[in-house]
Amino acid sequence: MTIAIVLLAVVVGAYLVAVLERWSVHGQFSLSGPAVSALALLGRESLLARTPDRLFFEAGPILLLVAGLLGAAVIPLAPGLIITDLATGALFLNAALAYVLVALIMAGWGPNGAYGLIGGWRFLGQFIAYAMLIVMPITAVAMRAESLMNTQIVLSQTQLWNIAYQPLGFVLFVVAAMGLAWLPPLDLPSAPGDLAGGVEAEYTGVRLGILRLARMVIILVMASATVTFYLGGWLGPVLPAWAWSAIKTLIVAALMLFGGRYVPRVREARYLAISWKLGISLSLANILLVGVIALVVPI
Amino acid sequence: MIGARQGALSGFRRLIAGAMARDLCVFALPGIDVARARGIDLRAANLRLTITPRHASVLLFLGSLPKRLEDAAVVAYAQMPRPRAIVFLGAGDLPDGLHADVIGELSQAGLINALDELTKIISEGAFAAQVQEFDAPALQTRIEYTCPMHPEVVSDHEGNCPKCGMNLVPREISAGTAHAAHATPEQEPAMPPKSPPQATANHDHSKHTSAEATAKYTCPMHPEVVSDEPGSCPKCGMFLEEVKGEADHEGHDHHHDHSKHTSAEAAAKYTCPMHPEVVSDEPGSCPKCGMFLEEVKGEAEHEGHEHHHDHSKHASAETAAKYTCPMHPEVVSDEPGSCPKCGMFLEEVKGEAKHEGHDHSGNDHSAHQGHDAHASGASADGIEPQFMSMIELTEGQPVSPDGLIMEWIDVPFGPFFPGLPGGLGLDMSLDGDSVAKVSAHSLVSAGELLAEGATPPEKFVERLAAMSPLSPVSYRQLACLALESAAKQEVASSDATARAAAVERERIASHLGWLANLGAQTGFAMLERRATNLELTIRDANMDHIAALDPEIASLLARLRKSHMLRDKLSGTGHIDHCSATSGPVARASGKDDDARSDDATYIGLGFATVTGSGGDAAARLEQRLAEIEQSCELIAKAEHLSLPEPAKIGAASGEGEAVVETPRGAARLTLTLTDGMVTAADIGTPTAAHFTLIEAITQHAEIADALIAVGSLDLSPWEMRP
Repeated sequence: MTIAIVLLAVVVGAYLVAVLERWSVHGQFSLSGPAVSALALLGRESLLARTPDRLFFEAGPILLLVAGLLGAAVIPLAPGLIITDLATGALFLNAALAYVLVALIMAGWGPNGAYGLIGGWRFLGQFIAYAMLIVMPITAVAMRAESLMNTQIVLSQTQLWNIAYQPLGFVLFVVAAMGLAWLPPLDLPSAPGDLAGGVEAEYTGVRLGILRLARMVIILVMASATVTFYLGGWLGPVLPAWAWSAIKTLIVAALMLFGGRYVPRVREARYLAISWKLGISLSLANILLVGVIALVVPI
Repeated sequence: MIGARQGALSGFRRLIAGAMARDLCVFALPGIDVARARGIDLRAANLRLTITPRHASVLLFLGSLPKRLEDAAVVAYAQMPRPRAIVFLGAGDLPDGLHADVIGELSQAGLINALDELTKIISEGAFAAQVQEFDAPALQTRIEYTCPMHPEVVSDHEGNCPKCGMNLVPREISAGTAHAAHATPEQEPAMPPKSPPQATANHDHSKHTSAEATAKYTCPMHPEVVSDEPGSCPKCGMFLEEVKGEADHEGHDHHHDHSKHTSAEAAAKYTCPMHPEVVSDEPGSCPKCGMFLEEVKGEAEHEGHEHHHDHSKHASAETAAKYTCPMHPEVVSDEPGSCPKCGMFLEEVKGEAKHEGHDHSGNDHSAHQGHDAHASGASADGIEPQFMSMIELTEGQPVSPDGLIMEWIDVPFGPFFPGLPGGLGLDMSLDGDSVAKVSAHSLVSAGELLAEGATPPEKFVERLAAMSPLSPVSYRQLACLALESAAKQEVASSDATARAAAVERERIASHLGWLANLGAQTGFAMLERRATNLELTIRDANMDHIAALDPEIASLLARLRKSHMLRDKLSGTGHIDHCSATSGPVARASGKDDDARSDDATYIGLGFATVTGSGGDAAARLEQRLAEIEQSCELIAKAEHLSLPEPAKIGAASGEGEAVVETPRGAARLTLTLTDGMVTAADIGTPTAAHFTLIEAITQHAEIADALIAVGSLDLSPWEMRP
């Protein structure tokens, strides 16, 4: 039962993220838009590239979707509304999302086309930039909660949300999450202006539909992970717990989707340099600060 | 519907067809830049723009395409998944083999009407019981075989590489492409036929030992294996390679081991004494500083290792350079220190010096050092020279400046690439994700200026304006001025001012269009949206309307000037020296005081003063164009009227005329001959022609995104190129 409810929530959430994404990319706000597009994609031919690596070509989008769904399994939507409340939930999220990299490289390699190939390998570089910045802020969150269990992490924020407790970690995590979901300005693997779609360039029809759905799920998971780790998850007055999770998640997703409109795409070399030289130093400072506060202030 | 998908239209499919009719994803030909210049707003028509034909359901033709672009259009159509539709706006013909589902007039209203009709067609005809296979001559391809290590080896049939013995791998190429040069693997396509013979190695071979002189066949992997006869290597079984010319030392026209040279190296024949990185096949001047290129008499950069043992036999007479960077062989210094390019410690180079009797230029030296460092690096790693190492496997392969050896891939960008002007084709060889080689070509280059011998002046003006869809007003002005100069007519100064205002309005629109392209290229959606809307509005705006738009333009400019991330993205990309042969904003952004308007009495009357920038990179060009938008707004405000240039009545005048107009991309110059009121001869020089030659220099070794930014920052109009 719980599984069915969470899956339904993921489907509805991914649909709403798609509405937001369409709004941010094409400037069309339409609640029915993604449904129409999805139906149209079902009707279009799903072309196979001429000399593909068939296994990678087919498996890439599906693995991406699986990675997203695995991530969703450890996110609590309300007390008790979680597929599996692992003792190492926060770590499991990282492990699940590591497959995003594998899936994108497969999707880039599979069609045997240059744009996809470069896009896939670019994401490998991007992974090096964002990976540490996902893990290290989570470390600080887990330090405060004294647990890697995601429900425990939410409950640890009853007095004060982590966005106020460790704002630096919040900023770092959101930026890294945008890198993981390859959202503009960190959309290097699909880069419309310089790779003509990159990893997405050779997919059409149903396969493109799966790829896009998978991306929406990943954006949703990253937004809800941000809510779980920094915005107090389901906590909030008056409204039911699941409603707070939904509202917060959509707000974070909208922030992540619309932020990229106002800045140009970051250069890959620059992204790596900033992530490592600045990002990791700040993450370490964040861990130190949170450690000191956790020892001194009992909230 | 011609591009329907197989299947009966019933039940669920009817629902899907309805969805497809509402979900129109369009791929516009020849490009979104042309759509904007023609005042067509695709977004306002509720279309979604796609970046690849794979994601499109509608192929939109904005007028008929130039001949050379038609094949590319057919391929784009073939890439689209069915059901696919074609909408043709304007007059003219579609490429052979394509049939329009809807034809409309080339305007916003025409587009909207056409889409209404298309919606009906798709919802009723997206699926059809019978569909035809689509085929066209442009889609024919054939398979050829090439060696993964030696791209110059190309064969019609499977087999082994004659150079390294590896299995040849199949590669698909367009059947239309002429590959005659690659017909036989025995040929050396690495040596372009046009390279002059004296440009190859010119060594004093009396110094060589006889052992080498008699060696005719050697193993590519084991240089110590030499044989008088062809055969296979006793150590590894590979085919022995012929070493040409070694035995015969009288003629210095010797080609030995040039098979190892890459085309880039072998083609390098002329270089700039100031910029050793500038190499050219042909004599000429340096694109960076304009100096005459010097002929390189010795060899260009060698990676070929069989040369190494030759050189060890040479006596070292003097040591010219003592320290060099292991990664950047061109960096040489007398003192120890770090490399200015990568910061690595410079390595000492022992004994490598001028070879007796050799005529080396500085460039050769650096090449030898690089070669030496390479070899010593290999032995320092404990790898025996004979060992089948990566270095030897990739021997003769081009090596990137970062020292990493990667597989090269050839990637075409354009002619319909979303980040480039429509009609511009860039064929890039990518080394990893950086550009190793690039060749640019225009598929929409202008045809003959004169249609059929003598052309009436009115027709000539229209023709010239139509040839440059991105800046028709400037070329119209150019034609009118040249005609008036030929007919010795004077234009009233108020008319001249009104025309200048029209040219300035187009400059604003063109620069805004460039900003929209930049936004699209860099994923800066807000910039793309705002610049597109402003461009579409201002193209046909009257004086009052332009004045009313001023605050909006000013706010966009202020926003862009404040954008650190934009500056960060563009800084240092596509640097162009102020000495290069440039014009227009590209020249002025590198500090060159070059503007055709500064000599024009009309502009002087409006208080024109050239605006120049500094820096010469893509960021400087952005600054420059922003400043010019402001300047043009001011000029329009000072002019009292605005009217499009119209050709005056020429009558039966005869004479020679010349005119220069500062178009949005730089100075265009037109000379023409009038005979009895008819244009009988004309010649034009456009700014893009000069800027095209810069592409190679500014993209060299750049990461692919940076290379595209650099090309984009030139604001090329492929329409201005002459075939």
